[in-house]
Amino acid sequence: MMTTATDAGTIDATADQDPVALAADDITVHFGGLTALSGVSLEVRRGNIVGLVGPNGAGKSTLLAVLSGLLSPDAGKVLLRGDDVTDVSARHRATRGLARTFQQPELFMGLTVREHLVLAYRARVVPHRMWRDMLDPRALFRTSPGEVEKVDGLLELLHLTHVAKAPVAALPLGVIRLVEVGRALASQPRVLLLDEPLSGLDLHGSENLISVFREIVDRSDDGLALVIVEHDVAAVLALSDMVVVLDFGERIAVGTPDKVRSDAAVRAAYLGDVEPPQRTATGQTAAPAVPGSRPEVGGA
Amino acid sequence: MLQFVIAGLVLGGIYAIASAGLVITYTSSGILNFAFGAMAFFIARFYYYLHTQESWSILAAAAVAILIAAPALGIVLYAVLFRYLKLSSPLTKVVATIGLSVALPALATIIFGTGAIQQAPGLAPEPVKVFHFIGVPVTLDQIIVYASVVVIVVAGALVLKYSDVGLKVRAMVDSTAMTDLSGTNPTAISIGVWAVSTFLAGLTGVLAAPIIGLDPINFTLLIAASFAAVIAAKLRNLPVAVGVGLLMGVATSLIQRYLPPASAWTTEIIDAVPFIVITIVLVYNLVRRGRVGETEAWGGALDRAITPQGESKLAASTSTVVETASLNFFGRYAGPLVLVALAVALPLVLGGYWVGLTAQAFAFGVIFLSWTLVTGEGGMLWLCQITFAGVGALTTSQFAGHLGWPVLASVAVGGFVALGLGALIGFLSIRLGDLYVALVTLTFGLLIENLVFTLPRFVNQGLGLTLNRPSFASSDISYSYLCLVAFVIVSLFIVNLRRSTTGLALNAARWSQAGARTSGISVVQMKVLAGATAAFIAGIGGGLLAVAQTTVSPSSFATFAGIVWFAALVTIGIRSTAAALVAALAFVMLPAISQAYLPTWTGNLLPVIFGLGAISAAKYPDGVLAEQSRRLRHLLQRVAPDALADEHFAEEVEAGVVDTEAVGMAPEVAGQLS
Ligand SMILES: Nc1ncnc2c1ncn2[C@@H]1O[C@H](COP(=O)(O)OP(=O)(O)O)[C@@H](O)[C@H]1O
Ligand SMILES: [Mg+2]
Repeated sequence: MMTTATDAGTIDATADQDPVALAADDITVHFGGLTALSGVSLEVRRGNIVGLVGPNGAGKSTLLAVLSGLLSPDAGKVLLRGDDVTDVSARHRATRGLARTFQQPELFMGLTVREHLVLAYRARVVPHRMWRDMLDPRALFRTSPGEVEKVDGLLELLHLTHVAKAPVAALPLGVIRLVEVGRALASQPRVLLLDEPLSGLDLHGSENLISVFREIVDRSDDGLALVIVEHDVAAVLALSDMVVVLDFGERIAVGTPDKVRSDAAVRAAYLGDVEPPQRTATGQTAAPAVPGSRPEVGGA
Repeated sequence: MLQFVIAGLVLGGIYAIASAGLVITYTSSGILNFAFGAMAFFIARFYYYLHTQESWSILAAAAVAILIAAPALGIVLYAVLFRYLKLSSPLTKVVATIGLSVALPALATIIFGTGAIQQAPGLAPEPVKVFHFIGVPVTLDQIIVYASVVVIVVAGALVLKYSDVGLKVRAMVDSTAMTDLSGTNPTAISIGVWAVSTFLAGLTGVLAAPIIGLDPINFTLLIAASFAAVIAAKLRNLPVAVGVGLLMGVATSLIQRYLPPASAWTTEIIDAVPFIVITIVLVYNLVRRGRVGETEAWGGALDRAITPQGESKLAASTSTVVETASLNFFGRYAGPLVLVALAVALPLVLGGYWVGLTAQAFAFGVIFLSWTLVTGEGGMLWLCQITFAGVGALTTSQFAGHLGWPVLASVAVGGFVALGLGALIGFLSIRLGDLYVALVTLTFGLLIENLVFTLPRFVNQGLGLTLNRPSFASSDISYSYLCLVAFVIVSLFIVNLRRSTTGLALNAARWSQAGARTSGISVVQMKVLAGATAAFIAGIGGGLLAVAQTTVSPSSFATFAGIVWFAALVTIGIRSTAAALVAALAFVMLPAISQAYLPTWTGNLLPVIFGLGAISAAKYPDGVLAEQSRRLRHLLQRVAPDALADEHFAEEVEAGVVDTEAVGMAPEVAGQLS
């Protein structure tokens, strides 16, 4: 195995000390006549896990698309470590340390599990290899120890070692979700956006993945932050440092899990309380909810 | 002036009818029918057969050909082909109709007799009557065209607007999913739409025959021109398609009036009008930064949800990926190695004339490899590789012939010129969906063919240009080996690229743009890279081919010939470099064998086979070679279960992690593994 001088193995660790890793400021998105997000703000601090919850169609995936640069908002700004990246492409946000997974998995059907991780690692750490390897007959063997360590470590962490060589096309959904998380982590992100990472997993799988999330955040030395979109509100409340609740494109609550759990607007949105709340902490009126159609707030 | 408008409305009317036929099948089934011209030719040829060869009366022949045979053709094709394509990827749909466009004219020649027919009568009795309309002479044939357009537009509008069927068709145009859910029967409507579309194809054919003759190339060119109207209509808007079709005809006619009539350029510009229209429309869309993709054009969110967009893409059937993973070193490489050994032996075994052909075949192999890269690996359906080959060949002739450069250096220059063009096309087509990419590259090929390949310095009074082989490889046998070496080098390059970081990134860009971009991979760079590299390879192959033949004539690089090349390659397999070699040998050797030893009609059988082969790509995306070697492997695995299997993969299957059934892996293989 050969090492090249260009492959430092890590990203520059000159972490600027801005405590806010990622922020969305007053984001508005329209799809034709439909307002998918109206004036939503969000702040993700270094080393934090932020839960983003809300009923189906609330605009959670749309917000992640705006944050990751796949969709440009009609109004509002996105800040990555203090820099305005609203006009920066998805690709360049990725090279600045923003990674994500998708609700509908977006894997590369021709590649194996390991290749997904290797590619994501190289795209971030040694991007020039995407061009240079084409003409290098030794490309096949040029793996740096840093890469092997990182990739194998992640495969181990996510319990993917035994399927490392399998093409993703042959894998069941539960494993595919893990591969998406692995690919995102292999790019050594500073902020990781997860869109319903637990759906499709069984109980054991979910618990396992939740402990992985806790572990990677705790272990990270440059303050990795997570944003988790989840249906399973109980799981999110248990895991998160901060929770943001969306409903019909509006932010109806934000705060610590405890605060959100007792929030009247949230209870209305989720439980369809008979008495509609007048005003919420954020000053916005919650939309009327359809009784019985919303999942329960954990512990409520 | 008026005279030119009236004359222009004839061509315009034919464009309009054809575009209407194209738009209705696209809106109802998502299939842009590249075989529309071939269908028109087939019916027109049948009409000629009945009326001229069998002396039927005009009315009887027209009724049987246009009103019975044409719709019947549509219904049969729907039953055996189109209905299976409905949920396929755009790529598969295009390839299948391209296959059809290759097979149908050859089939017509086999059935009805040989040869392009220059003079074909239309629907007007001969001698054709001429009327005078405000001092402008108008033939009865022309009047029939106008009448047909008026009848079709009025009847179409009435049916769509007021009838029950029209309502259902419009509902289906808006959303197949909705029609499915609401219980109307889309199958009956689809059959009807295809019957109407082939009726329009037949009518187009019979109307166009007196103007353009009965030549399949002219027909496909005519329909390619109608694509301009279809693209301007964003594939769906019937009135716009008809209007643009009519306008294009008038524009063509007016150019004829205002440009100097004797200039050679005038004729070429006239031929190029539709392609200039396509270019303008696409550049306009590009500048507006709108993405032009068939997904937007087809149905709503619900349709997209039920339509497998990423799945069943041509040439990367995931089952093959899985199956390859299940093989060990011997299982993977024995086939290609045997093949190369055979190729090395070939020039030694064969004699005289045939050795010269192997040199050509190996050069063809290099050209085919450019598709292996751009379509097989990159998933981009480029239909202009023959144009790049032509550019390579002509550049080679200019540098080696006129400037006296060493011939191999000239071949390299040709490769670089092609590379530049490939990068340009790659960049221009970045925002386009698969279907538009196919259209743009086809248009580009036709533009270069009409505007550049016809220049006097290349045509050289129809003689072409001569080239000398390099002194160290002047004999057929040594030049064969030179080409084989080139083939092997390019193959190794592709195999290396496939497994390098570049190949991984290319694969990422192909399968998920969102996934690639959010992983920090530039989809634009990867596509331009694949396109430009493939163009370079095609350019080199074209240069080598020209040197093998020792003459270059631009007419051998006609865009539609390239479509037959493509069909041949898809038939054998577009994913593997070994398949490129087999396809090239088959493509060059089989016609020669048929010419030397078999009855003449067998010469037309090959395009039919290649055409049907390309159609079957919908079912076997990896082609004949992969399919047959898979069968061979399964046989071997029954005899010696462990000989080819990768141990690691077997463990995974055993552990139940890999779901072999989910990817359609052959049960024999899966059985062997677990
Ligand atoms: N591309 C799109 N075009 C039109 N409407 C969309 C699009 N994407 C999402 N929407 C709509 O925006 C709203 C929010 O969707 P989404 O963000 O996916 O919700 P969530 O992820 O919270 O379930 C929904 O009403 C959805 O139908
Ligand atoms: Mg969502």
